[in-house]
Amino acid sequence: MDIILWIVAGSLLPWFPFSWIFNRLLVSAPGAWARALAVIVLPQLGLLLLLKSGAWYVLGQEMPIALRALALFTAILYAYRAAGTRDVQIWARFMATSGLSLTWLLVGLLPQHWDMQLFVLAWSIPAALMLIWAGVLTKQTGASYLGLSGGFARVLPRLSVLISLTALAATATPIFPNFFALLQAMESLPIIWMPLLLLVLLLWGWTVGRLLQDLLFGIYHGEAVHDLSVAGTWLGGLTLGVFALVGIFWGGIWIIN
Amino acid sequence: MGDLAIVIPFLPILSAAVIFIFMHSARKAAARISVIITLLTFILALIELTSYALGGFSRVEIIGTLWGSVWLDPLTLIMWSFVCGISLLVHMYSVRYMVEEANYTRFFALLDLMTATILFMVSAADLITLLVAWFLVGVVLYFLLGHDTNRPAAGRYAFWTQITYRAGDVPLWLAAFVLIRSYHSISLPVIFSRLQMYPHLDAFWGLSIPELVGFLLAFAAFARSAQFLLHGWLPYTMDGPTPVSALMHAGIVNAGGFLFNRFFPVFEHASIVLHFVFIVGLITAVVGSAMMLIQNDVKRSLGYSTMGQMGFMVMECGVGAFALAVFHLIAHGFFKASLFLGAGNIIGEAREHDGVPPDSVYTSIVERRPAKPSRLPWLAAAALTIIVPVVVLSVSHLFVSSRLLHEQGVIILLFFGWVTGAQALFATHKMTHTNPWRLMGGILGSFVLVVIGYTLISHYFGHFLYPHGEGYQLYSAASINSVYFDVLVIILALLFVGAWALTFFADSSGWWDRADQGRWRGVYLALYALLSRELYVNDLYARMTQVLLSGARRLNVLLRWC
Repeated sequence: MDIILWIVAGSLLPWFPFSWIFNRLLVSAPGAWARALAVIVLPQLGLLLLLKSGAWYVLGQEMPIALRALALFTAILYAYRAAGTRDVQIWARFMATSGLSLTWLLVGLLPQHWDMQLFVLAWSIPAALMLIWAGVLTKQTGASYLGLSGGFARVLPRLSVLISLTALAATATPIFPNFFALLQAMESLPIIWMPLLLLVLLLWGWTVGRLLQDLLFGIYHGEAVHDLSVAGTWLGGLTLGVFALVGIFWGGIWIIN
Repeated sequence: MGDLAIVIPFLPILSAAVIFIFMHSARKAAARISVIITLLTFILALIELTSYALGGFSRVEIIGTLWGSVWLDPLTLIMWSFVCGISLLVHMYSVRYMVEEANYTRFFALLDLMTATILFMVSAADLITLLVAWFLVGVVLYFLLGHDTNRPAAGRYAFWTQITYRAGDVPLWLAAFVLIRSYHSISLPVIFSRLQMYPHLDAFWGLSIPELVGFLLAFAAFARSAQFLLHGWLPYTMDGPTPVSALMHAGIVNAGGFLFNRFFPVFEHASIVLHFVFIVGLITAVVGSAMMLIQNDVKRSLGYSTMGQMGFMVMECGVGAFALAVFHLIAHGFFKASLFLGAGNIIGEAREHDGVPPDSVYTSIVERRPAKPSRLPWLAAAALTIIVPVVVLSVSHLFVSSRLLHEQGVIILLFFGWVTGAQALFATHKMTHTNPWRLMGGILGSFVLVVIGYTLISHYFGHFLYPHGEGYQLYSAASINSVYFDVLVIILALLFVGAWALTFFADSSGWWDRADQGRWRGVYLALYALLSRELYVNDLYARMTQVLLSGARRLNVLLRWC
């Protein structure tokens, strides 16, 4: 029973090697919107499974070091792998996996369910938005790969802005909520373990830099494309704005926990 | 005045928000609003500084409930005025300079955002605000440096800056959490007062908490202030727009010096860190200045000059002269901003008027052409070169405060002042002039004025910044065993005096040319090649990146991209 619980939870709220199943599930979802929905719903289901079964507290007491090592290894592995891709959709999946795996650092802590759900959402929402933008990019250019044409800042300025901001939101940039979620994860660790989590932060900085370099800079060589509509841009911008505002108000709540 | 102070860092945010949301295509109006609000911010910052100087007191103003606060102490108020002043210059310059560029309005909004972020960074009274602002400076700078998206080089060098800054964020995060865990607060004033009560808490590897935190803060400062091995990005920031280069080299790169000053109570109990900081600063100053000398590109040369200056600034912190480092960063900020903003005109002038008139300083120093024989006698010149700076520097410091001459840090800085002053006089001696005594007299007069002015200003500035004698505690923390110190100073002084006397003699008699006969040419060329490749530091990083990326791709293929 325990083993099945571990596998199911690890596939929904990813840790390696079951993070592979999580990514497979996202890839198999039909279309960008379904992927976006999946990246929000699946981790919540995994979290609920852990909380309702009571495993959340038991695991935290029985194997805190193993869980900590597992979570950090998954986060580092997927952050590193994200640097090796130039596809927005794959990048979004890897970053989501890297961020969501940090939830396992908090196993056994924080009695309020809603706080944990917010922590997971902090990583899911930017990933979901990124998967939607990857879908839009695929629709406009035929693929979400940035390595061939590049220089989208001039031909798809609105979409480029949204992708850039979402990428920053996905990599724990202040004042988005996952910056504060990362502070919360830091707070849960003994000092000696903190450098590993900071390695994740460094790798995220590297991956987001590479993504933006591929996305924004250079001369566009592809066919003529249509940018995102003004309404779509406002909607995307508004979502990110609200996300950032939540960050400001929610941020720092770990200080009083 | 408290409410007024809180408004200051929010004003540029307001300007950025208005431009981003409402003024996308109103180019002139956006620039005007941006300049006016920056001017207003500058005036308010000056008012705050003046009211403090006329009898104000340090205080903390809370903005948020859990985090978010500004510390209105002398350091904040000085930095606010300095940052706003530089920002105003850059704004005014950009109005016409950037007018033909695409995304003109976005540029001004980003400038405003950068100004606000720096204002929050220098005034943060809690660790969370500091982390947020410190982190955001790197992000906003990335977009400012990469303003011209048509140029892949702009993106590449913006990325170099961003990743180096991120590397500097990591130790700051760790330092913040070590402080939070050890002193159970995020408030800087609270942490510092508890640190004074319990300065010797043990951390790891035989280090106390202040020593561990000091090392981490030093690494964070090194990344921001382009210290050796973390310097590769700085000369390449020239690929961004000129106003951004000016803002970068005049303001943002000084963050290291600010960080040392903000956390000065930590360094009072971390002597070993200060010694380490001194060595890193010294290496950076030497390497930066050496690289500056071999550049044939004006802006790249200015970039390496900044690296050398930052090395010197960090070195000042390493000897305990924290207030002097702040004075240095302000002075350097203004002169470097003017050099950057004027560089374009110089380049344009040189392109238009090809015939550069012969310049005696250039021909004698850079081209090393043999000078005409109208010089002082070598013994007189050597005596003036060696003795005059010692007398001027010592007397000026003695006049300000005799206690200063007992501090090792001051002696080291005097030593550097002496070497620099003597070198300037030596260069003057090599110049051709019809009346060499008059030339030397003019240079000596200027030297005396500069030294006295600098000594007086830096002394009173130091007293303003650290009114309770903290400066002497920092000098004391940076000191080493007095016997070792005296022996070191004497050996170095003898080495320098001997080298100068020999140089004067060899230069005057032509002895070196006869003895050398081109045998050192190979060594010079090898050294030049090494410096022109920037000591292969960037090549090493590029190779490391390639290896890491190749590994990531192989892993992705192995795991089928899932």
